[in-house]
Amino acid sequence: MKYRPIIIFALLFILTPTLAFADQLKVVTKENAIRKECKFFSPVKAEVRYDDIMDLVSKEGDWYKVKFGDTGGCIHKSAVEVKKFKLSGLFGKKAEASSDEVALAGKGFNPQVESAYRKKNPKLNFALVDRIEGLNVPQEQLMEFIEKGGLNLP
Amino acid sequence: MRKFTSTLLILVPLLVMAGCTMPEIKGVTEHMDMISTTVKATSKASRPISDEEEYYVGRSVAARILDSYSIYKNRKLTRYVNAVGQTIVIHSDKPYTFGGYHFAVLDSREINAFACPGGIIFITKGMVDMVKNEDELAAVLAHEISHINHRDGIGSIKQARWTEALVVIGTTAAKEYGDKDVARLAGLFEGSIDDVVKTLVVNGYGREQEFNADRKAMTMLTKAGYDPESLQVFVARLIEKGRTSKGGMFKTHPGTQKREENIKANIPKGKTAPDLLAKRSKRFMAAVN
Repeated sequence: MKYRPIIIFALLFILTPTLAFADQLKVVTKENAIRKECKFFSPVKAEVRYDDIMDLVSKEGDWYKVKFGDTGGCIHKSAVEVKKFKLSGLFGKKAEASSDEVALAGKGFNPQVESAYRKKNPKLNFALVDRIEGLNVPQEQLMEFIEKGGLNLP
Repeated sequence: MRKFTSTLLILVPLLVMAGCTMPEIKGVTEHMDMISTTVKATSKASRPISDEEEYYVGRSVAARILDSYSIYKNRKLTRYVNAVGQTIVIHSDKPYTFGGYHFAVLDSREINAFACPGGIIFITKGMVDMVKNEDELAAVLAHEISHINHRDGIGSIKQARWTEALVVIGTTAAKEYGDKDVARLAGLFEGSIDDVVKTLVVNGYGREQEFNADRKAMTMLTKAGYDPESLQVFVARLIEKGRTSKGGMFKTHPGTQKREENIKANIPKGKTAPDLLAKRSKRFMAAVN
């Protein structure tokens, strides 16, 4: 009887990593969307931002089926990074911490470094770069453009 | 006691399912320690430039290019080029980058195009005038998108420079850098931008990078429904033009004869319906004129 708390603690200690280290995905683009189906132009169910974390449910071609809070849906593989942890030998699964994971989000060449570069080069027109980054084609217009040109949807 | 037995009845099968054996249980603490050590150690070791960092380099490369070229102010053409570009992007290996893909036309008669790391692509008005239809424009943009997909621009940053940057990044514990560190990193950042600009504007990419970008471009064109032969037709015209022209793309894309051979050898099979080509040519003419 007196060993009961020790045994329970030991078992929970073993099982916790199984639950805690389920595969997760981290958004690596400024913003993105979780879509209803695993294809471009499918209705958006939730908007996500850089560093948002979601649970990986399964893989479907170039898309991941995910669970983000209460929302389930799909996100393209190029918009996320699989978070991996080194648990070799524990559950027969070998994985490593990904490079971006350990880059410690936000470190490296970041807005602070760009700001210092801009101060040093005040003639460079970053406002124009911002405007170029604002050049987007709305989803409906792009679909129409593709269809009218007899082109293929992915 | 009954409660304890039922707890065990639930937990033990779970443990068995997880495939744990006693020696493995013994190693758990070591593994947990290893996770923490690996995370700390790897942050100081070599790692590639992240997508986010590539984005910041690309923005500054774009600013540098805009220091030498003006933007061609024509909304209709800019919208059209972006529509063609985005059509290709969604058929590429990497449809999403940190900041997305954006296309702009440069007001220059020079025949050239630049793929800034991260997703900003410039095409000169001279290049737009040289392509004869939408499929050729798509071919030029697909080639540049390939360079971004394969991180050819960011790959031109000298390894020693990036290694030095990693030392600064790895030794700074705080998320915000101190003045000394930020000054050091800004210097390395500037050097990195110089490396990329030099490759894009002066030296050009290596032959294999160009050949690979052409092959990938034809794959994207085919997937999107554009005629992959349009790339070969355009490059043949480029060769012809190159006999009498210097500078611009002729300086950064030498050996176009061999490029054409590589394209010919790798053109995917299949023909594009002439009526669709004509339809797209019509809207191309409406956008450029």
